[in-house]
Amino acid sequence: MSLEDNFNFEDFRRVAKKKLPAPIFHYIDGGSDDEVTLKRNTESFSKCDLIPNILASVGEPDLSTEVLGSKIDMPLFLSPVAMQRLFHHEGDKASARAAEKFGTFYSMSTMATSSIEEIANTASGPKMFQIYIHKTQGLTDNLIDRCKSSGFNAMCLTVDTIVAGNRERDHKWGFTTPPKLTLKSLMSFATHPMWTINYLAHEKFQLPNVSNFVKKSSSIAKGVMEYINEQYDPAMSWNDAEYCIKRWGGPFALKGVMSIEDAKRAIDIGASAIMLSNHGGRQLDGSRAPFDQLEKIVDAVGGKIEIILDGGVRRGTHVLKALSLGATACSFGKGFLFALSAGGQKGVEMMLQRMRDELRRDMILLGKKKVSDLNKDNIAFRD
Amino acid sequence: MSLKNCHNFSDFRKLAKRKLPSPIFHYIDGAADDEVTYARNTSAFDDVDLVPNVLRGVENVDLSTTIFGKKLDLPFYLAPTALQRLFHYDGERAVGKAAQKFNTMFGVSALATVSVEEISSMIDTPKMFQFYFHKDRGLNTSCLERAKAAKFDVMALTVDTITGGNRERDLRTGFTSPPKLTLASLFSFATKPMWGINYLTKGKFELPHIQDHLEAGTSTNTSIGNYFSTMLDQSMNWKDAEKLCAQWGGHFALKGVMSVEDAKRAVDIGCTGIMVSNHGGRQLDGSRSPFDQLAEIVDAVGDKLDVICEGGIHRGTHMLKALSLGAKACSGGRLYLYALAAAGQAGVERALGQYKAELERDMKLMGCTKISELSRKNLRFRK
Repeated sequence: MSLEDNFNFEDFRRVAKKKLPAPIFHYIDGGSDDEVTLKRNTESFSKCDLIPNILASVGEPDLSTEVLGSKIDMPLFLSPVAMQRLFHHEGDKASARAAEKFGTFYSMSTMATSSIEEIANTASGPKMFQIYIHKTQGLTDNLIDRCKSSGFNAMCLTVDTIVAGNRERDHKWGFTTPPKLTLKSLMSFATHPMWTINYLAHEKFQLPNVSNFVKKSSSIAKGVMEYINEQYDPAMSWNDAEYCIKRWGGPFALKGVMSIEDAKRAIDIGASAIMLSNHGGRQLDGSRAPFDQLEKIVDAVGGKIEIILDGGVRRGTHVLKALSLGATACSFGKGFLFALSAGGQKGVEMMLQRMRDELRRDMILLGKKKVSDLNKDNIAFRD
Repeated sequence: MSLKNCHNFSDFRKLAKRKLPSPIFHYIDGAADDEVTYARNTSAFDDVDLVPNVLRGVENVDLSTTIFGKKLDLPFYLAPTALQRLFHYDGERAVGKAAQKFNTMFGVSALATVSVEEISSMIDTPKMFQFYFHKDRGLNTSCLERAKAAKFDVMALTVDTITGGNRERDLRTGFTSPPKLTLASLFSFATKPMWGINYLTKGKFELPHIQDHLEAGTSTNTSIGNYFSTMLDQSMNWKDAEKLCAQWGGHFALKGVMSVEDAKRAVDIGCTGIMVSNHGGRQLDGSRSPFDQLAEIVDAVGDKLDVICEGGIHRGTHMLKALSLGAKACSGGRLYLYALAAAGQAGVERALGQYKAELERDMKLMGCTKISELSRKNLRFRK
């Protein structure tokens, strides 16, 4: 099966499942507890329908939009995701180059397997850095300053990961980073020899952004949840967020805002955007889907702060529904991770190509010339 | 399984699946993206229930209705669908004759495989010609004039195919017209020898309305999505529609109107009808179902033109629900296409006979003797 035979998210997911050792596939694919929120994130888009306009002579629709101080060529970008080298040996470099090719944001996780400087030298497209506040003093300042001198365009602070979510699939499969062979996972690694060979033959797995500060980060096998609970600062407060915004001094988003109250407070502390997100259903199960919450958030803070919808996006029409309700842009993680696992940079490019084709086609079918033409009149909710 | 075992829509679908090579079956059966809209088109009818009246003396039921100035014996007609000779070697000849037998309207597609002249010499039941606005203006004029000369009663301009929908089943099966043998489809054609023998021996496959004008008409294998995207004029606007309406000079409808705003505009340019339709879920997935949108449209323009509900109809009760909401008539494609594929003219006649029997039975159970007695009082929406 070649990459061209993958037409959508599900196709890439299937290929990724074949290619990846089970603990790694399930680390991407899983959510917390019963995965109710994970499921709802995508389902929520089906509670409303698009209403097209006809005879609108759309021509070639303009998919570009402006978010976090940068103009991007399509209203969808790559969310920050940790440890991408586990999914494909090209890791973050693959996603960064693919995003550059499609003129959209690549986002780097604090827990990336490439360094800030390395990625800055790899891709010249718009880049966002995602920061976690660690207990270790000095790491936050260090990361912000390095992003500044490396020319990153935007920064986001993840606020929904104070403690780790209960990802039961990881318990079951014994997922650790770097991967540790257990009796249970041995079979799975052995039956995916290509992944294992690539993993071992390419550069060493490390977390270069934090490795100088956190001794345990790359030398000792440990669960992600254990890492989060040990290293992240659970005392993180609005003051810490405000401190980061000031020190950064550029476009800044809070990632994981869900309540109206918090959205308003994000404005007060000077954030330029919020990412409406529940961390892909990986943290608090039973929490609300971003798309379900979008309308209320737009009513409360729309126009005063940019709203990025992150979670459950699988199709161009999902993006168009979010934009119609007032989101500035959308982002996705799993949406490109399975494609990365399936084919590295080429895989991510194919997925972005599919999404761009869908967005273009769906804009034409909706009768809209540019994304700012989308509005609530395009949408009807079912009672 | 044979024709006499077919008692409803899904029985005919099963038989068609047995008879047709899989690329052709999936061309009929498939829809866009995740087929969410396709599924909703039918499930929308389940959100509302019929409330019968009793003791009304209903021994004689009159199912007739008048649309576009023509009296039909049934409150539904056969929507125009392309390429019918791919589904059964008799194609439009079979469907036209069946329509005549039940005295209802026959919709003939611009991409029909039998000419308007032949159809008009064959049947005298009301006829609709479905028009695609091609880039080639000579082709447009020729279609219009031929339909006029052949005494067609209604012209319907399709407005929801500005670009091809993302029909992923066709991408996977490699469906083209005329059918092209690929390695993947070879097996499927080989296991349905009767279809192959009939296709090759019962007259050449042609698209008589367009083939003189386009290379893509018959000689080259093309997918329908590709045909829409390359041959149709994407700049088509309201002025073009108004001009066509005037040029035609008779009953004129827009097929694929979904928004209230567009429905009002259709009145302004002189249309006498609109088909509330999303092209059977084959174009913009995530768009609203006709039945969900019907009441709003009827409220806005129901007294100014004929509103036809098209999409997802599998049962007589579906039609009664649409008529109760205020549709003048219903129509459908798959409604008779599976029956055509299953058994040609005999199949379509059996299907039409069953819909008619269902309508008669359901009207009696509702306590109604005329279509005009149906109203929203018969309906309760579940909240």
